[in-house]
Amino acid sequence: MPQICFYFQLHQPYRLSDFNVFDLNNEADYFSKDNKTIFQKVSNKSYRPMLGLLLKLAKEHKEFKFSLSCSGVFLEQALEFDHEVISFIQQLVKTGQVELLAETYYHSLAGLYSRSEFSLQVKKHNDLIKELFDYQPVIFRNSELIYNNYIAEQVETMGYQAILTEAVERYLHGRDRTKPYQSYTEKPLPLLLKHAPLSDDIAFRFSNKSWPEHPLTVEKYLRWVEVYPEDHLVNLFMDFETFGEHQWEDTGIFQFFERFISEFILRDYNRFVTPREVVKDLEVSQLPVYDVPEPISWADVDRDLTAWVDNDLQKDTINKVYELESLVLKTANSQLIEKWRRLQTSDNFYYMCTKWSNDGDVHAYFSPFETPFEAYRHFSIVLADLIIKIESENQLEHLTAK
Amino acid sequence: MNKNNIFMIGWEYPPHNSGGLGVACHGLTTALSSPSNKIYFSLPYKYSGSLKHMTLLDCSHPDWGNDIEQPPFFAYDHFPALDRVDPANLAVNDLSLLSQSELEKQVSQYHDQVINNSKKKDFSVIHAHDWMSFPAGMSLKQKSGKPLVAHIHSTEFDRSPVGGSQYIIKSEYDGMKFADRVIAVSAYTKKILVDKYGIDHQKITVVHNGIDPVEKTDHGEHHFAQARPVIVFMGRLTGQKGPEYFLDLAQSVLHYLPEAIFIVAGNGDLYQELLFTTAHKGLSSKVLFSGFVRDRQKAKLLDRADVFVMPSLSEPFGLVAVEAAQRSTPVIISKNSGVAEVLPSSIQADFWDIDLMTQSIVELIKNKQLSQDVVKNQNIELENVTWKSAAQKVTEVYQQLAS
Repeated sequence: MPQICFYFQLHQPYRLSDFNVFDLNNEADYFSKDNKTIFQKVSNKSYRPMLGLLLKLAKEHKEFKFSLSCSGVFLEQALEFDHEVISFIQQLVKTGQVELLAETYYHSLAGLYSRSEFSLQVKKHNDLIKELFDYQPVIFRNSELIYNNYIAEQVETMGYQAILTEAVERYLHGRDRTKPYQSYTEKPLPLLLKHAPLSDDIAFRFSNKSWPEHPLTVEKYLRWVEVYPEDHLVNLFMDFETFGEHQWEDTGIFQFFERFISEFILRDYNRFVTPREVVKDLEVSQLPVYDVPEPISWADVDRDLTAWVDNDLQKDTINKVYELESLVLKTANSQLIEKWRRLQTSDNFYYMCTKWSNDGDVHAYFSPFETPFEAYRHFSIVLADLIIKIESENQLEHLTAK
Repeated sequence: MNKNNIFMIGWEYPPHNSGGLGVACHGLTTALSSPSNKIYFSLPYKYSGSLKHMTLLDCSHPDWGNDIEQPPFFAYDHFPALDRVDPANLAVNDLSLLSQSELEKQVSQYHDQVINNSKKKDFSVIHAHDWMSFPAGMSLKQKSGKPLVAHIHSTEFDRSPVGGSQYIIKSEYDGMKFADRVIAVSAYTKKILVDKYGIDHQKITVVHNGIDPVEKTDHGEHHFAQARPVIVFMGRLTGQKGPEYFLDLAQSVLHYLPEAIFIVAGNGDLYQELLFTTAHKGLSSKVLFSGFVRDRQKAKLLDRADVFVMPSLSEPFGLVAVEAAQRSTPVIISKNSGVAEVLPSSIQADFWDIDLMTQSIVELIKNKQLSQDVVKNQNIELENVTWKSAAQKVTEVYQQLAS
């Protein structure tokens, strides 16, 4: 009986190439040619079939609504490697049943490292969404749902109306995750919190045969969702690639999704909503406060930053990247600046994660490198090259100015 | 009977070598062989190529599997000199992972195979290379009555400064005691043999390794990281080679030369730890790891280096420093190394003396004339670092034994 708010994340990083020390200050590309093949592979398995299914469902059911967030680097690669993905999203947006969210163009952690870079990347993303889809996002979601009070404060100044993030027990203190909250900031924003158990039942556990609830049927899932009363909001936030890539087609994930949508809608008291609709009539000041002093995220069991910024390999490289901000901007060389920004993509640091156990397996699954050490080794060399080029550009500038 | 035939007992040979031993065996036998010097050379595996200058004896044991093409274990290296470490392969070949009884068994099996293969061979001297071949050398001396030369390329004291295998130390000791003559690759090694093993200094002859000449390349031919000082470490990433000192050195040098780039080439058991230390010191993008390099890449890197540093804790010889010098790169080498004896004009420092090494690097980078002078003098010294001269000294040892 509750309202369901779906949000699917579309993102693909620019993975690094096998750049080595002999390429220093030469012309080799930082980014791998494999990005094209990977994008097209994932597109065939997930983007095209799922976007097609969503379009079909949206046309069949006017009541079916959901939200999408697409990183700028995802859209760029779609434009280059599989334009049909863009057409699908354009058609979806035209139905009026799909809400697009705002985020950082480069799927970065800039919100924690640089105010100026953060706002610039959000604006750049906003511009691309407008250009491609003639759409103005009003709700913000940060990379990997990374969130703290400081990020909320920045997002508020950018004029967005609400933020999506994770429900983390150490800050929720036993309260409902199915209610909206307000941020702990001077000018509070509404917050929608992910329902991790129900989201992850689909995203992570759906095909896990050792899960006691396997196989997950539509009936069972409906029962779990309908436990919640009418005035509750179940936020199902997940990677788009859940459909077809993380859960392969042969697991029955597409049929499950299609039937779930149709069944859910059959009952009058059920409703799909999008974030923008949820916050429209909210009296923010009346909402309970979600005070998050330390950054949270939707990743791993810890739901913190340790997937990206935990060991020294990650900390030193990300610090070095942001230390370059003023120097790289000073070059005014758009190519160098673009490369620097692509290095900010969170995946680069995710690959360097050395946490083990189940989380480590997830990291290994996504990484193009055999080990976190290889990921670090390559990143460090690329960074050295970027620094060489920035400095020589700035020196040249200096000389011509004289 | 040909008086000049040599029965050599080896363990590895390029390309299946883990370090300097195989390279040295190649250089020495090539220079030693002549129509009047037939060389038999035993290996604990079937050599896949063909060699013209000597007769190889496949002394592998059936227990090690059919037609194995590399030693049953690599004697010096946790990471064999391959581009990629195959963990499955490693488990079989890693010396440190073998139980002592297994190690003894394989060495003893090799001994049996060598004795079998020595039958009906004519030779006047036995020349055994390092501890793995000493048991076979000793038995062969007993059976044949021919003199035994024990050649020491490296000792357990070099490889494990904090105390290595008693079994290996004893093998080294027994072999040298029983041998008629001992050859040490450097005076530095000779001193270890005298001080630590109590070998009579008169019994030991120092024969420095040589090196095959390379085509001289122009220092600037390989253009990468132009206009940056490049300082290179190349070697196994293991305690003996002192890579941690290289990181300390990098941190220190960067105070004076912030634009310098440090490249660590190699692989080894300290690899991951070194990456963490690098990042912890904030040296990402300054200290770069190239991974294992060989052949052209190796030459390219040594060629490009503005300074080469070998901060080994203990290095019987240190071939890679000679290779760097051949590429017209000024080298800074640990005082605890044999190579310092053949390259006296290189810069020598205690491996822990970060201040002195820092000062030397800064001077070499800032003072081109100094750098060129060091290279010039190194080049003059290199002319004497030949396998021909090593072979001559070895021949003298043989002659003394015959007389």
